Amino acid sequence: MDGWTFRAEEVTKAFGETRANDAISLEVRPGEVYGLLGPNGAGKTTLVKQIIGLLKPTSGRLSLGPYDLVEDPDTARQLCSYLPQAQMPINSFKAEHVVRLTGMIRGGDSATVERRAGEMIEALDIGEWRTTMGAKLSGGIKRLVGFAMVTVWPGRVVILDEPTNDVDPRRRRLLWEQVRRLGDEGASVFLVTHNVLEAEKSVDRLAIINQGRLIAEGTPSSLKAGDRGRMRLQLMMAPGRPTPTMPGFIQHHTRVGNNVIAVVDERDVAHAIGWAQEQVGLDEAEEYALAATTLEDVYIRLTGHLSEDVAPAPVGAAP
Amino acid sequence: MMTRWEFGSLRMLLPLIVAIQVVTGGGFALGVGLLYADMPMRSALYLSTGVAVVTLITVGLVLGPQLVAQHKLAGTYDFMWSLPVPRTTQAAAWVAVNSVIALPGMAAAVLIAGLRFDLDLRLSWSIVPAVFLTIVGATMIGYAFAHALRKPMVTQLITQLLIFVILGFAPINFPPENLPGWLADLNLFLPFHHMANVIRAGLSEGLVSGVATSYLVLGGYTVASVAVASRVLGRRD
Repeated sequence: MDGWTFRAEEVTKAFGETRANDAISLEVRPGEVYGLLGPNGAGKTTLVKQIIGLLKPTSGRLSLGPYDLVEDPDTARQLCSYLPQAQMPINSFKAEHVVRLTGMIRGGDSATVERRAGEMIEALDIGEWRTTMGAKLSGGIKRLVGFAMVTVWPGRVVILDEPTNDVDPRRRRLLWEQVRRLGDEGASVFLVTHNVLEAEKSVDRLAIINQGRLIAEGTPSSLKAGDRGRMRLQLMMAPGRPTPTMPGFIQHHTRVGNNVIAVVDERDVAHAIGWAQEQVGLDEAEEYALAATTLEDVYIRLTGHLSEDVAPAPVGAAP
Repeated sequence: MMTRWEFGSLRMLLPLIVAIQVVTGGGFALGVGLLYADMPMRSALYLSTGVAVVTLITVGLVLGPQLVAQHKLAGTYDFMWSLPVPRTTQAAAWVAVNSVIALPGMAAAVLIAGLRFDLDLRLSWSIVPAVFLTIVGATMIGYAFAHALRKPMVTQLITQLLIFVILGFAPINFPPENLPGWLADLNLFLPFHHMANVIRAGLSEGLVSGVATSYLVLGGYTVASVAVASRVLGRRD
């Protein structure tokens, strides 16, 4: 594929008084896997729907190489493949058949689509369901079939909204290999997710969106750079207990549900453990965990939300 | 390719839907016949040709919109509309599917009613454009409002209302003179009377008049509904 860069320039989408997207600007280069992270309702799906021509920005520009995707939504659909978060409408189709049919609807020639469909099915290890009707597939296998449908004849931009939902860990790995392959073949891959830990391992760069605004952008390492030399202290509060008064060495903290996530300097780790043990001893907290900071902490600090799969294994608990 | 998708997506339900259309078409004629000890020939002709029209219209105006509403409820709507297929191609595929669903029901309804009331139906070539215009018109009207309405529940309620209007207040299964004058006049501006008129002209002789006008009105509705559907389908909020 030729190198066409995707650009969003000052994209704003308003629904009445609400700005679902507020002056979002970003760039995705060909071959790049780009994460779009944010809590539910942050405006990720609104942005995606504008890219594929289902919504029109209130203002701003979306382009891919020489094409204006806002002015030409038909071309936008030709150039972009989209895996929505919802399950695909494949109940009445056999798995391999629907992958091939979608590839041909997307403009692929029969022979190439047939070959690629076979390769995708093997690569995702779903061969045993090749001739199974969609209605009989589990949620995870359906998700993988959906991924194959969207990528068997990919657009220059591939948008994957929570692609690993319901997928077992082994096949998740296979799926990420295929996402990487898409990038290697020159596609720009948008990964929309609120699973930060998974995104951290998979993306080249990412943007964090909250309340319609792009609040951070960079590589996972660059975003974590500000948290170097710090540790994360996670305190699972007993049900109904208030957030305890934070000692001075806690740099900042967030509470989501019964989880209190705090960030401490490495030099204060001993104090932090002592304080956490005290909270458990007082039955204020049920357990605590101390770990290196991750992209999750950056995400929590910026958005005030926990992502999925957040909890590391506890190191201390109430007896 | 899109037609293959639409047929494929209904593959498990298609035989059932067609069977239900056949049973409801024929069953409606037989059921209404029970209201009369001895149905007059003219009424029988109106009923027999009317059930054919009802089977055609309900597929486009009721079943089609309900399937679109189901896509929206299941969350699969966005994927379907993200496919790189011209909206006109998607609409044409939908007309093809509706035709396959509606035609057996219509044929069965006419056949069963004709046998039940011992009618002398006269099939003419004009049934072809009459059926075509009726299916396209009904399908596009249904398609347009199903896509235009954001809430699937509202779509489903409107389809219920349409069945009520079509069966009770449009001169499809009975002649227009059975309606109050104002309602008969109102129907002259709605498509249902004209759909029934052109279908009757293709199934009988001397039963209806003003067929040329009905073709004009129905043609206008078809063109307008295709235009509105195109606009609705191309709309981006």
